Amino acid sequence: MPKLYDAVVIGTGAGGGMAIKTLCEAGLKVCAINAGRRLDPSKDFRHHRKPWDMKFRGFGDPAKRAESYGYMDNEWVEGVWEHEIPFTTAPGTRWMWPRCFAVGGKTNFWGRSSARMGDIDFRAGSLSGAGIDWPLEYREIAPFYSRVERMIGVASTVQNRPSNPDGEYLPAFNFRCLDHILQQGGQKVGIPYLPDRIAQLTRSLEGSPPCHFCGACTTGCDTGSFFSTPWRFLPRAEATGNLDLRTNALAKNVLVDENGLASGVAYIDRKTGQEVEVRSRVVVVAASCLESARIMLNSKSRIWPEGIANSSGQLGRNLCDHLYGQSAEGYLPQLLGQPSVPDNVGDCQIAWMPRWQNLENPHKEKFVNGYSVYPWGGCQEYPWNAMSIEGFGSSYKHEVKRRYPTPVTFSIQAPSLPSPTNYLDLDPEVSDKYGIPVARLHFQWDDNALRMFEHSKQACAELLHAAGAVNEGAAKDPNMPGWSLHETGTCRMGDDPKHFVTNRFGQTHDVKNLYVCDASVFPSSTDKTTTISILAFTLRTCEQMLDNFRNGVHRRA
Amino acid sequence: MAGQDIKRRELLRAIGIAAIASHYPGFVKWAYAGAHDHASNEPTPVRSQAYTPQFFSSEEFARIERLAELIIPSDETPGAREAGVAEFVDFMVAHDTEQQKPMRAGLAWLDEQCGHRFAHPFLDVSEAQQVSLLEPLAYNARYRAGEEAGQEFFRRVKELTVMGFYSSEIGYRELDNPASRFYAESPACPHVNDPAHQHLPPPRW
Repeated sequence: MPKLYDAVVIGTGAGGGMAIKTLCEAGLKVCAINAGRRLDPSKDFRHHRKPWDMKFRGFGDPAKRAESYGYMDNEWVEGVWEHEIPFTTAPGTRWMWPRCFAVGGKTNFWGRSSARMGDIDFRAGSLSGAGIDWPLEYREIAPFYSRVERMIGVASTVQNRPSNPDGEYLPAFNFRCLDHILQQGGQKVGIPYLPDRIAQLTRSLEGSPPCHFCGACTTGCDTGSFFSTPWRFLPRAEATGNLDLRTNALAKNVLVDENGLASGVAYIDRKTGQEVEVRSRVVVVAASCLESARIMLNSKSRIWPEGIANSSGQLGRNLCDHLYGQSAEGYLPQLLGQPSVPDNVGDCQIAWMPRWQNLENPHKEKFVNGYSVYPWGGCQEYPWNAMSIEGFGSSYKHEVKRRYPTPVTFSIQAPSLPSPTNYLDLDPEVSDKYGIPVARLHFQWDDNALRMFEHSKQACAELLHAAGAVNEGAAKDPNMPGWSLHETGTCRMGDDPKHFVTNRFGQTHDVKNLYVCDASVFPSSTDKTTTISILAFTLRTCEQMLDNFRNGVHRRA
Repeated sequence: MAGQDIKRRELLRAIGIAAIASHYPGFVKWAYAGAHDHASNEPTPVRSQAYTPQFFSSEEFARIERLAELIIPSDETPGAREAGVAEFVDFMVAHDTEQQKPMRAGLAWLDEQCGHRFAHPFLDVSEAQQVSLLEPLAYNARYRAGEEAGQEFFRRVKELTVMGFYSSEIGYRELDNPASRFYAESPACPHVNDPAHQHLPPPRW
């Protein structure tokens, strides 16, 4: 007889990691399934290596350029991002899908920006007249945000912004020269320029040492000084003795019993190619927004012919993403020829410009909802602005040096709106090497998000002008969809089983012992990043699940 | 505060990282990444005498060396030659099938243009003549119709030269690149009384 677990958790990223930790610490026997291997910081994180210590100086093998996911998938973390499992796009769709299947998933390399969502986000549907509201109020989730912030450590300040509830913070990162100059510009044109909310330790926390400000966070941290599940959650789960973590285990489908309840998970052991079944009382799907929908759509049975927990037909639908794009770039003449300073700490992610549009009147602008902007700049590890400087020779070399502390860029983070034409389904014709149908993406930016992008170009140009900066223009087009890694909506939560996949606790309406713990449950995209909300919602979901174990909804194994 | 960078090993001692890490089974195991040592302050000497190009012919490679040197010259500080940039360019092009044809064609184009203008190959004319060939390729205001292929070629060579130079140890020194140093506190702007930065010391360069 195979062992029976209390819970199987698919995925070990933000949602999976929080679920595993919470359930193991509560005494449940948990089997965690992870599609990739465990990382070894000494081999897989090369973030303190200098470019000349690497074969292609960190620029990567040109022969692999076509399959690279870009800025995160580089020579410093070679072999960490997933390239074996393909996906397809519908005609006219462009999609970039960087997936980290290693233990810890994208938390190993994430951007760390960690703003709470608030009622302005949860009620965006009724405020804007577009989209739907979330099935809860901020006051219900606020205590979970607080607990998560205490667990992971978030550096920021109390800002009293109407768009952004404040939280419990470690000391913020200090502002650099460029931040002060841009903040002054922002004050003149009414754009907030404030310390970002960064899940990075400016003080030690529960045995984890403080950040050493090397600036290479998106290639992994060898001291565990920003939050990731392998550093902060999985060790605590393993210490309970309740965790069985299976690696190179690619989830294929959720198993069901004769009543349509979840009875476990079938996965492919990628080392042997064999299919393995693991049985449990409860299944938690936390494979990331798109993978979770793919696994559930592929969980077809007599009772669930269109995929498990999909009686609403909403599984895979309502896909939203953050539109990213360069709203402006330029340089600060105040800093020309000044000595180099360490601007590239925390991957340059020190400040943000939190949503300032449509706050008092939700219809003030030509778009609904709102966006945030992330400023970057200063002395970088590589002078990316050098190619935009004309010429050659000693005068050119001198100008590169003079300009080195001065560049600034602004990147918009704008939510897309749910649309019937933006969704994921299973490709009827393409399977991966294990015979599992691959995900097929259908996605276009909507006019609302594109209007925000144009608005942000104007706003950033005004800020640059007011700051005395030289504006060198904006990108014409936004980045490719998928670039942000902030997909939401494919298992959206809501009260009505006819229209929503899960209830307000991330428990599927159709299958009471199936829970979803990632950004797929978020009914809409906001101007905020997703990770801290995944953590907070997952903590709430797991405590609800534990209540259900206590009150007999679920039986222990 | 700014300037408080501390050496890696001191940092490790201060935070007792090895002891902490041994209790973290979330990863495979802990073996500290710092086995490679950055303690030396002297740039590694660049081997350039015995270099055999992987892609370019020796004649082509000589032109790449000269172009790199013209783009980032050795003046009061070391330039592309000292940083071994031509070797990097050759290495990257050898691994980049998309670059090979246009780079080779561009080098031929350069010699051909030089022949038309000065009756000699590129390497045999004066520096002033070499510069006069490159300027219309390098500055928007001086672009000449019909030289689009040359402009594109110059952009390729310049990009690879810039990549090779500023990713080298010498390039880091040129910019006093502060990357990958370690700080006990988040570095802060030192001009606390001048947030608009209107009264900074005169530019250093």
